[in-house]
Amino acid sequence: MTIQNTLRDHGQRHRPRMACLHKAESVVLEMQDPRSGVRSQPQRLVITTIPHAVTGEDIVSWLSERLLVDADEARSVGSMLAALGYIYPLQQHKRLLIRADASLYRFQTPYFWPTQQWPVEDTDYAIYLAKRNIRKKGILELHEQEQYNRLHKWMNHKWDFIVMQAKEQYRAAKERKKPDRVVFECQERAYWVVHRPPPGTVSAMDFGLERRADPNADQAPTPDFYERIMIFTQQSIMRPRVKSSVSLGALVKYCSTYQSHDPFLSRPLPSNPWHTDDASYWTLNAHNVETPTKQRVERWTFSFAELLSDPRGRDDFRMFLKKEFSGENLAFWESCEDLKWGTAATMKEKAEQIYKTFLARGAPRWINIDGKTMEITIKSLKHPHRYVLDAAQTHIYMLMKKDSYGRYLKSPVFKETQKKAVTPEEHKFTDSQLEQNARTRRPSLSPIVLRQLEAERRAKMAAAAPVDITQLCRFTTPVPHLAVYSGFLDSASSPSLPVPALSAGCPSPISLALDGSPPAPAPPPPAPPRSRVGVSLRRLLRRGCGPIGVFASLSPKCNNALATAGGAGGRVQPISGERQGQAPPKRFGNFFQMKVDIPPECRIYPIESEDEEEERAPPGGAGAKEIICPWESLSSQTGTS
Amino acid sequence: MPLVNNKVGDESTVSTGKSLTDAKALVESLIKVVACHRHLASCMGGCTDSLQLRDELRQTRERALTLAISICQRLTTTLRDKSLPQEQRQDSELLWVSFSSSLELLHIDMCKVFKMADIFTIAENTSLVLTGLQGGGTEVAARALSLQDLQQVESTEPPAGLEGQERSNLEQDISRMDHMIDDMESKVNVLRWMVEPQGTLFPVGSTDSMSMALLSVDEECPGPGTDVESAEPAPLCQRSHIFALILLSVVIMVAATLSVCIVLLT
Repeated sequence: MTIQNTLRDHGQRHRPRMACLHKAESVVLEMQDPRSGVRSQPQRLVITTIPHAVTGEDIVSWLSERLLVDADEARSVGSMLAALGYIYPLQQHKRLLIRADASLYRFQTPYFWPTQQWPVEDTDYAIYLAKRNIRKKGILELHEQEQYNRLHKWMNHKWDFIVMQAKEQYRAAKERKKPDRVVFECQERAYWVVHRPPPGTVSAMDFGLERRADPNADQAPTPDFYERIMIFTQQSIMRPRVKSSVSLGALVKYCSTYQSHDPFLSRPLPSNPWHTDDASYWTLNAHNVETPTKQRVERWTFSFAELLSDPRGRDDFRMFLKKEFSGENLAFWESCEDLKWGTAATMKEKAEQIYKTFLARGAPRWINIDGKTMEITIKSLKHPHRYVLDAAQTHIYMLMKKDSYGRYLKSPVFKETQKKAVTPEEHKFTDSQLEQNARTRRPSLSPIVLRQLEAERRAKMAAAAPVDITQLCRFTTPVPHLAVYSGFLDSASSPSLPVPALSAGCPSPISLALDGSPPAPAPPPPAPPRSRVGVSLRRLLRRGCGPIGVFASLSPKCNNALATAGGAGGRVQPISGERQGQAPPKRFGNFFQMKVDIPPECRIYPIESEDEEEERAPPGGAGAKEIICPWESLSSQTGTS
Repeated sequence: MPLVNNKVGDESTVSTGKSLTDAKALVESLIKVVACHRHLASCMGGCTDSLQLRDELRQTRERALTLAISICQRLTTTLRDKSLPQEQRQDSELLWVSFSSSLELLHIDMCKVFKMADIFTIAENTSLVLTGLQGGGTEVAARALSLQDLQQVESTEPPAGLEGQERSNLEQDISRMDHMIDDMESKVNVLRWMVEPQGTLFPVGSTDSMSMALLSVDEECPGPGTDVESAEPAPLCQRSHIFALILLSVVIMVAATLSVCIVLLT
């Protein structure tokens, strides 16, 4: 139940778009006036004469006089009356429009008027079809036959009644005089053309979802009713308000930006498919088109949200990010969207997958979010729900928007796309061509097919997902070793986790060699993190919680490593020169060792722009361990994590 | 001579059987009255709307209601009887479904009439819709009331202010019907989806002549000419039969003459 808008609601919220019915009724009633109404003439049939037939031109001229509009507008108003079912044509009864010539029309009886209170019953339709079956001995049109069979299936229990009622109605009709019988049949047929239109026609009675309650119905003034009004008004007072100069400025800006892109205010190129029945506009702006249109590309420059919401724009952006080696941001954002909008059954797996791929320490596509967000996210991943990654997603979105988007707009990728973009020619169809188009209309691809294509595409992309090269760790030892991530405020060193390889991404030795030189360190962490590293490690070891604890429990060797790491915690420091000198040869040594040990699997560790890494000689290979998500830890977690 | 007792069944089943056939007849007449009521309601608001039409509507409605009440009583007692044999229960459930569907139709029609009476009042001479009708519904009403003589439907000139009274009567009737339907639903529990109809499906698009013979009720006599755009059917069945017969006879004659020629020539 909603609070009523007392000003002129016209029942719009109850059945939107049907408020016109009352107005149409009053117009039709005015047309009936014997003095000032529409001129009627008798319709001459072979044997009978039926009065009260009206020509199209009379209707149109009367409407244009009464409503003070020009002839075209009057014709469309008349067609609307016909489409709603107040007037029906006598020739070509299936096309509900008014022609301004000598074709004849008649008014529908009020019993068959479309009014909001009387729903159109399937039982009535079944009776009507059964009646036509009796009369015409089984000659129903194809869609009517289908409906008939369907109704027979669904109303099987009533079928005796339907048949009997059809027969009785038929016999009762026979009691009437012939012209009246003809008129009644025409009326009924016109009624069902309006309410059960043949396939391929647009129905004017399509009003969308129906609400259970009519907000304009009289409500008893109970205390509850007044209380709801009070709550509503209180909330309206408390709403935050914006200065009109600001809001109007925003509106003006929006209108001026989007005016040329609005299909109502300006002509879409090549042509509006709804007008000309020519679908080239849609094919040119399809999802995976090679060369987008200039309009579309211009739209991408309006805002980051526009770029992301257009699939072609997103592809372009993805390509740019691939070149910049920061594709994991967009991938993370997309998987968050997937999680948010996916089915509830897959949520847990998806959350796990995302954690393993993006968030865990040592994940192949680690994203760079600040420590607080990371902490919150990991904590709440214990009980994954739809919006668990919202904070992280927002952070990444802002990152992309502030940073990558600006660079994208100046990048050669985008400039290339802009250059290649096409401007389609405007169609100029003649009337006959328009008719031709209307006749050769084809339905679009079914949404099921589209969804399958989309799923295939996504699977292909996931299979071919590149391992972001910057994320390759210099070290590929299987032993979890300490690595520091710049994301954490406390920069906890923790053994990174060997990750099972992505299907396509094996770090080539070349990349490792490339990474031989240590990455330029980010501004070295200030002194406090050093001690904090030790503190945090000790804390972690003591509590045995978190991923580290898990691994500790899993592998004694890890324990060893941890212990030594813990012991050496105090020794952890920014990589000094001699350390660095040490690192490369050792690395290569490890690399070869690794190659011997575990050839097919690739371990990828995130490289940190930070330093503070320590390697530990692999005491015989600790074996591949899966990243285990924190909420799946089997070992006891003695403390809160 | 010993009396041959043909009554195999129990006294009660016979009586229920009889009441079932009675109820069946009543339901059929209710369906007929509902159909006629619908025809009359469709004339309402049109150019033939008049006080007489309203009166006929009222009479039809009252007849329908009396029928409905008696059927309701019978069927309710029948169906609440726990010791009913299966066959009879099925029959009565079938009747129940037909009865409730016709009540629903009647209810909708009565509500429509009520609403239309608001918009189109005879007394105030609002402009009636020019629907092209010429005759009234007198014959239909006569059929509904099962009256042989049309004259009996004539009503006396109703006094002024009748419409208001009509309206309140109609309202009462509608609420009475509401109560009846509610009562029905609460007293008897018929699982509608378990009911199997006995009639045959009209063959859609088939040319099975046997079933068509069954279905073709009161064929239209082929008029002197058919209207161009009206939905009046041209019954092709009879014509096609005649053509077939003529063709067959022609073929037989040709064959006969050929054989005669052959015999003569050889």
